[in-house]
Amino acid sequence: MRRLLALLLLQAFGVGLVHAKEQLIEVVVAEPYLEMHSGPGRGFPVVYVVGRDEIVTVLYSRTDWFKVRAPRGQEGWARRSDLALTKLTSGEPAPIPPYPDFATHRWELGAGYGVFNHQNLVTAWGDFGLTDSLDVELVLQQALGTIDNRYIASLGMRHTFIPEWRWFSPTAGLGTGYQYIDDKVPPKPLQTGNQLAYVSLGARGFITRRFMWRADWRKYVVFTNRNQNEEPEEWKFGLAVFF
Amino acid sequence: MEIRLSSVFLAAALLSGCGWFHRGEKPPTQVAAEEPQGEPSIVEPQVNRRVVKTPKIKAKDFELGGYFGALSIQDFGTNPVYGVRAAYHVSEDIFLEGFLGRSRAGISSLEDVFPNITVVSDTGRRFTYYDLDVGYNVLPGEIFLGRGRAFNSALYVTVGMGDVKFADKDQFALNFGMGERLLITDWLAMHLDVRDHVFETALTGRTKNVHNIEATLGLTVFY
Repeated sequence: MRRLLALLLLQAFGVGLVHAKEQLIEVVVAEPYLEMHSGPGRGFPVVYVVGRDEIVTVLYSRTDWFKVRAPRGQEGWARRSDLALTKLTSGEPAPIPPYPDFATHRWELGAGYGVFNHQNLVTAWGDFGLTDSLDVELVLQQALGTIDNRYIASLGMRHTFIPEWRWFSPTAGLGTGYQYIDDKVPPKPLQTGNQLAYVSLGARGFITRRFMWRADWRKYVVFTNRNQNEEPEEWKFGLAVFF
Repeated sequence: MEIRLSSVFLAAALLSGCGWFHRGEKPPTQVAAEEPQGEPSIVEPQVNRRVVKTPKIKAKDFELGGYFGALSIQDFGTNPVYGVRAAYHVSEDIFLEGFLGRSRAGISSLEDVFPNITVVSDTGRRFTYYDLDVGYNVLPGEIFLGRGRAFNSALYVTVGMGDVKFADKDQFALNFGMGERLLITDWLAMHLDVRDHVFETALTGRTKNVHNIEATLGLTVFY
């Protein structure tokens, strides 16, 4: 245990050393002054001000705030919009990354609530955009019912009809997956694992910055070894972050 | 011999032409045409363009850590609870958070009164949960410790849902919480949380909503 702790500490210090060697960006204040707040939030007081033509070092960012170091070593948090007005020592504008564009974003991670065949559903998804309007989505869900629990993993393609519509854009999808049934009440199900396929209709929309919502309706066909396949329905709503 | 040699050259030329075509670039004949025809300059400039790579600014929006505390399982007493948590800060106000926790239920009051009755089996006393939450920093601010020290802090509320596995059964659970985050340094935070896990159960007879309130103390690292 002590060894493990020592190893962990060493790891932490190791990480620290690597960080110390990291190259940091230095920017020149181009506006009359740059305000440094005591914390990464709009309400935190201004504790230091850097004047025009002075150089500040950008250490790292947290949400919309950047931790900066003034020439004499004082540290504080600068607002993204303020820091975007600074310049590199070469005279080029500071490389403050803009927000990802919602219409052309590539990655998306989200989670939400839904109803699968009258059962509560917890859902989480990852999504990669092949083009602006065509995505590959991997969804992991758990449907919690009174008789059984279902774990569903599915992989599919989704088309966004008009990706440039920010607030509401309809989608349609198609995919396949696998479900595992964990029974709560006897008798045991005839099959605990089934392959399934689905079609989906839905919509997505932008909320703010890198935040978005998604709603989806799905119709499944669960392939069974009985004479009839199951055809459950599902709807869900979730929030996601895009990159 | 000459014909064979020329055919070999022709084939090679064709193949290389195909290669250029596939790469979507212009054939190399044009490069030859660009060679300077006039007088050679006295000093050949040998300047390599310096590739200036601007370092990226590291974003530290993720938070990862663990917590420990007490969980009051309705009808089953108060017991220690521990778990891990991970969060992503979307903006200075909103964050998404996930919890994974575990506890163990004690003896229910029914079992206390009637020792022969077993409400939950031994393995079923394990209380495991996961939650997916959305959080909002309601009251960000600073906490002062004496004259010389101030710590950044935030009072936040969370709401979410997840799964509680208790009595060998998974139940859908809603989750409401409130907590205080105190940043010891910019990368290390201490959390004080109170959370309620609400789910429906029929363990003690009739079906009812049970409230399982936990109070925890946690440490997280921003990275």
